[in-house]
Amino acid sequence: MALRDVGLTFGRRPVFDGLSCDFPRGRITVVMGGSGSGKSTILRLIGGLQRPDRGSIRVAGQEISGLGEIELSQVRQRLGMLFQNGALLDSMSVFENVALPLVEHTRLSAGEVARRVHERLESVGLSDVDDLLPGELSGGMLRRVAFARAIVMEPEILLCDEPFSGLDPPNVSRIEALLVHLKRDLGLTIIVTSHHMASSLRMAEQLILLQRQGLALIGTPAELAASRDTTIAEFIGEDGAAFLARHRDPMVAGRDEQPR
Amino acid sequence: MIGWIRELGARTTAGVEALGRIVVFGALIVRAIFLRPSRIRFVLAAIFDSGVLSLALICASGATVGFVLGLQLYNTLSRFGAEESLGTAVGLSLIRELGPVLTGLLVTGRAGSATTAEIGSMKATEQLDGLRMMAIDPIHFVVMPRAVALSIAMPLLSAIFVLFGIFGAYLIGVEMLGLDSGSYVSSLENSVEFRDDVLQSLVKSVVFGMLLGLIATWRGYSCEPHAKGVSRATTSTVVTASVCILLADYTLTALWGV
Repeated sequence: MALRDVGLTFGRRPVFDGLSCDFPRGRITVVMGGSGSGKSTILRLIGGLQRPDRGSIRVAGQEISGLGEIELSQVRQRLGMLFQNGALLDSMSVFENVALPLVEHTRLSAGEVARRVHERLESVGLSDVDDLLPGELSGGMLRRVAFARAIVMEPEILLCDEPFSGLDPPNVSRIEALLVHLKRDLGLTIIVTSHHMASSLRMAEQLILLQRQGLALIGTPAELAASRDTTIAEFIGEDGAAFLARHRDPMVAGRDEQPR
Repeated sequence: MIGWIRELGARTTAGVEALGRIVVFGALIVRAIFLRPSRIRFVLAAIFDSGVLSLALICASGATVGFVLGLQLYNTLSRFGAEESLGTAVGLSLIRELGPVLTGLLVTGRAGSATTAEIGSMKATEQLDGLRMMAIDPIHFVVMPRAVALSIAMPLLSAIFVLFGIFGAYLIGVEMLGLDSGSYVSSLENSVEFRDDVLQSLVKSVVFGMLLGLIATWRGYSCEPHAKGVSRATTSTVVTASVCILLADYTLTALWGV
């Protein structure tokens, strides 16, 4: 998966001007950056929800920037996406929301659909929520249901927009562990946008730090730690720098350990 | 002067582009009707929302219009000694004109605005994008059932409006003002033709329903994705659909003598 020389303008505001980056297969890439730097837009470009003004976007080896909705739909069957606000269908129950992709794209029996839905809900720490409507859930529960829906089809590529926002610490750890598990056991390529510094630095195998109109850095957390760039130092702050210093060795040695 | 001409040109081009987009959108809705899986369950649910939940409004409005027509027409016709023709006057005016048009305007305010608001808020909360990312076509899943439901519900509601109107005028003319019941019913029966009046009235209301379905879903689907955008789109649906229904009514009447 790769973006090449991507240019995008919203109205008169340029978001990207010649952005190029690769997302290695079977790895976790964390996209970080300030508000308005275009983190979510990268995910929308990869999902085909946003078309670039120029440049090339390859997803699963296929150029998608010129595809129509029908062709994009084929590509999207290989993707899962967690939206920042969940994007659950508010007229459907939790069970119906999570089951929807299975009902639409597979011929599984009702029992098998129910089994998979419950398995996914349990993996995000939810049970007995089948009949609740999204409006009856707390923010954290809503995001976990959305996460369950994003992974229920076991996609090849998982796009997560701020998966940790609104979650309490135990659930941050749970989602982080689940992401690492999905990457390690199922070989998913995962792209995460996040402001959650500790989780991002802990699980990232590649970090992309965005600033206005482009890249500030692309590399590993260790490379981020080694950077002398003041913009980067400012962004990660003292806490992030201390975290990187503390965890430098394990990060360099291996990426697959469980989060603490 | 040049600036004014440029502005006019830009606005005309934008208008033609918008019209083109609506036509393409309409074509996508028609295409979605034939796609699998069929969305009959969603269409029925949408008919319930836009049709069944509008019944009380339609019945009350139809009866009220019937009361007014009964009073007005009885007084006017009695000046010429023609009060026996009350059934004819009420029936033809309701079936040919008032039934379809008033139902169209009422359903626009009640169900058209709700449809736009619902689709618009789904867009603002990224639910439509969520469907796209699950490789589910939002036009097939969300838009088509609601547009089809409005097209089906409109003629049914119009027929109910007409029935309540005729009954309302009966209550005023016969029960209150003392007109002979047989005269009212027989004049109605003798003057109303199924093909020229009833069928054409249904054709009108089907056209109004299709227009409303297209406008309401388009406005919701293309609104700006925030609260103010949804509010603007909802207002725009009521205004645009009302004007379009009145224009279509005139056009159909003039072209086919409906």
